[in-house]
Amino acid sequence: MRIRSVVTMCLVIGLSTIAVLSSFAGGAGEAATPDAPVEIRIMGYGGQDPAIKARLLDEVIGDRLSEQGIVVTYEPLEGDYNAALFNALSAGTAADIIYIPVETAPGIIDTGVVANLNELTDISPFIASLNESYTFNGNTYGIAKDFNTLAMFYNRDLFDEAGVDYPDENTTWEDLDEMIRAIAAIGDDVYGAAFPASFDRFGAFAFAAGWDMFDDDGHSDLTDPAMQEAVEWYTGLVRDGVAVQPSDLGQGWGGGAFATERVGIAFEGAWMLGFLRNEAPNLEFGTAMMPIGPSGERGNFVYTVAYGINSQTRNLEQAIAVLEALTSVDAQQFVLEEGLAIPSREAMSENEYFERGSSESDANRVVFEGAESGRVFGFQFGAVGTDWMTPINAALSEVMTGEASVEQALATAQQDLNELLAR
Amino acid sequence: MKNSLREQLGAWLFLSPFLLTLAVFFVYSTGRAFYFSFTDYNMFSEPQWVGFANYISLFQQSLFLRALQNTVLFSLIVTVVQCFLALVMATVLNQKIRGLGFFRATYYMPSIASSVVITLIFLWMYQRRGLINYLWTEGRRHAPIIVFFLVTVSIIQILQVVIERRRGFPARWVDPALTVMSILIGTAVTAGAWVFGFIAVRDLPPVDFTWLQTRMRIPESPEFLRVPVPLIAIMIQNIFTTIPTLMIMYLTALQDVPKSLYEAAEIDGAGATQRFLNITIPSVRPVTFLVVTLSLIGTLQMFDQVAIFGDAVPLESVITLAYFVYNRMFPGAQLPQVGIASAAAIFLALFTLSLVLIQRLFIKSEVS
Repeated sequence: MRIRSVVTMCLVIGLSTIAVLSSFAGGAGEAATPDAPVEIRIMGYGGQDPAIKARLLDEVIGDRLSEQGIVVTYEPLEGDYNAALFNALSAGTAADIIYIPVETAPGIIDTGVVANLNELTDISPFIASLNESYTFNGNTYGIAKDFNTLAMFYNRDLFDEAGVDYPDENTTWEDLDEMIRAIAAIGDDVYGAAFPASFDRFGAFAFAAGWDMFDDDGHSDLTDPAMQEAVEWYTGLVRDGVAVQPSDLGQGWGGGAFATERVGIAFEGAWMLGFLRNEAPNLEFGTAMMPIGPSGERGNFVYTVAYGINSQTRNLEQAIAVLEALTSVDAQQFVLEEGLAIPSREAMSENEYFERGSSESDANRVVFEGAESGRVFGFQFGAVGTDWMTPINAALSEVMTGEASVEQALATAQQDLNELLAR
Repeated sequence: MKNSLREQLGAWLFLSPFLLTLAVFFVYSTGRAFYFSFTDYNMFSEPQWVGFANYISLFQQSLFLRALQNTVLFSLIVTVVQCFLALVMATVLNQKIRGLGFFRATYYMPSIASSVVITLIFLWMYQRRGLINYLWTEGRRHAPIIVFFLVTVSIIQILQVVIERRRGFPARWVDPALTVMSILIGTAVTAGAWVFGFIAVRDLPPVDFTWLQTRMRIPESPEFLRVPVPLIAIMIQNIFTTIPTLMIMYLTALQDVPKSLYEAAEIDGAGATQRFLNITIPSVRPVTFLVVTLSLIGTLQMFDQVAIFGDAVPLESVITLAYFVYNRMFPGAQLPQVGIASAAAIFLALFTLSLVLIQRLFIKSEVS
């Protein structure tokens, strides 16, 4: 008797829960009536993005969109963006337009939740290497909202003190080697460059040595001589004590190390600018293209985030209109001139902003040009995602701290990587 | 009959908020996880039934095996050390000493601060140029002076006790008055030796021990006992923050131990160590059971410190089972592996349960 009543109670509770939950779910997303404005939701990063989007809508594209009867709502996902986005997409609550980080693109596009843009809009005005990162089997699924590449940020004061010439677009690894050693000679606490034990920076050097992340069969070969050469050069400078890992200066990244003014060069993107403005406003810095490696070319990563369209959207037409407005010439001009981000339209290279001659506009120009110079790859690693970097990061760290030789570390990393790719 | 029905309804009504949350967030989600653990599912595809394939695959993944090893080592070492130290601290704080309230409050502090804040502070202390390596360096540099001081104090103390005993006084080796005298004289002698240059601070390079960015494991062998250095760093931090809570539990238990037992033992000639071993430990046995159980469960599911240490440490050096589950469910940028994550979560639950059951065989929950 008692057991039965407990069971009944559980059933009642269970059923009522389901009823309540389903009534919530039913409420979302009614079809729009012709007169009422259509709401287009955008899901993207937290941080600075909500403020930038608000200004963009207020000052540039808002009026045009409201004439077309469109209201835009920006929904920032704070914290772990990818996890929150996967959840929303899987649960069917994702917005009409979503940010797609380049490293997430292969996995998420493969599931079919992102709409193919080929027939919907014109992708040709955007930088080719950006489009490529979102193109699979000939279909393009995202338009880069902005992007970043790596550049050499150098501390002018330290270069002057060491009496060395500033780096420029012709600087090679050998030149850089000399510069780093000259600056490190200034004093015990001064280092020529900050080299994080991390593929997200080291990768650019591996590409410059002529290394490819994947061969035609989708395998990664870390025992390749080009990789070996890059690791030896990169870690050797740290082993010699002339370059330093940011973590040894108590910093989490190269920019943090650069801001301590104890490091001559850091390899970072335009995200450095806002950081330096706040953390080291008096630091006199210059920017140069990444150095030319043994392959005779420079290497670089493109880090980007694209706007994609949720294939479940009920208002495809309006979503396209918003996407086009967000990536329009005036929107990108505004973002560039405000120093907020680097635009993804090829024609923007002609923009007079790049000729202003300030440290910041120079840096933005170098980063912009980085996308089309040398061996440039998107910051993406196939379906395994950023986990792909983990074995290589561990190897770099082991060599830098002297726990393993280059050959040992790379052999271990190769094993781990094979296991990862087979997963 | 009618009354009892009404009473039952009332009870259910009061229970319903908790039953509802339990039903949704515990029973339902556990059921789902159990089901998913037998499927191949990435949140977008339809779940495919794969039987025990996920469980088999778990034991073929080296990362999972490392997580299992890390979790077991972490749990055993931390539980033993922190339960023992908590009991010792509780015993000390159970004495009648001046400023007891102050000491109790001070020792409880680490437990009040949020785990995130403490972890961030420890992250700084573990830097290669951080506080821990700094203290280590200074300790090594000042070693001659410290050793000289300790040796001098011991010699003076021994001399004093021997003299007192010659005179016929029953002096103990740690007699407080004599100890104070020895320390005073020892300090003076050491200071003198230092000033006149008999001993000096050694000029050694700073200690450059990597606590975090390393895959080093100690000891060299045997394989199953090798603990990654970054995991030791987390162990130290975890012990530091958990001891006070366990200490409070012991303290309440200790206050129920009759003073007469200690007095009787003292009269019979039992020393401090014997009293601790023969009275304190047996009388707090039920609390030991509670403390060990809580500690085991807490350490087996350790997650937050690993998550906050994040990129500062190599993942495989600190990964625990709980973090493995999270890592598979919310990977960097690839699609979630819900099946593997669920299988690992179910394994962790069963593993915790069985460890607690085994533990019950060794520690009785009642005073015999």
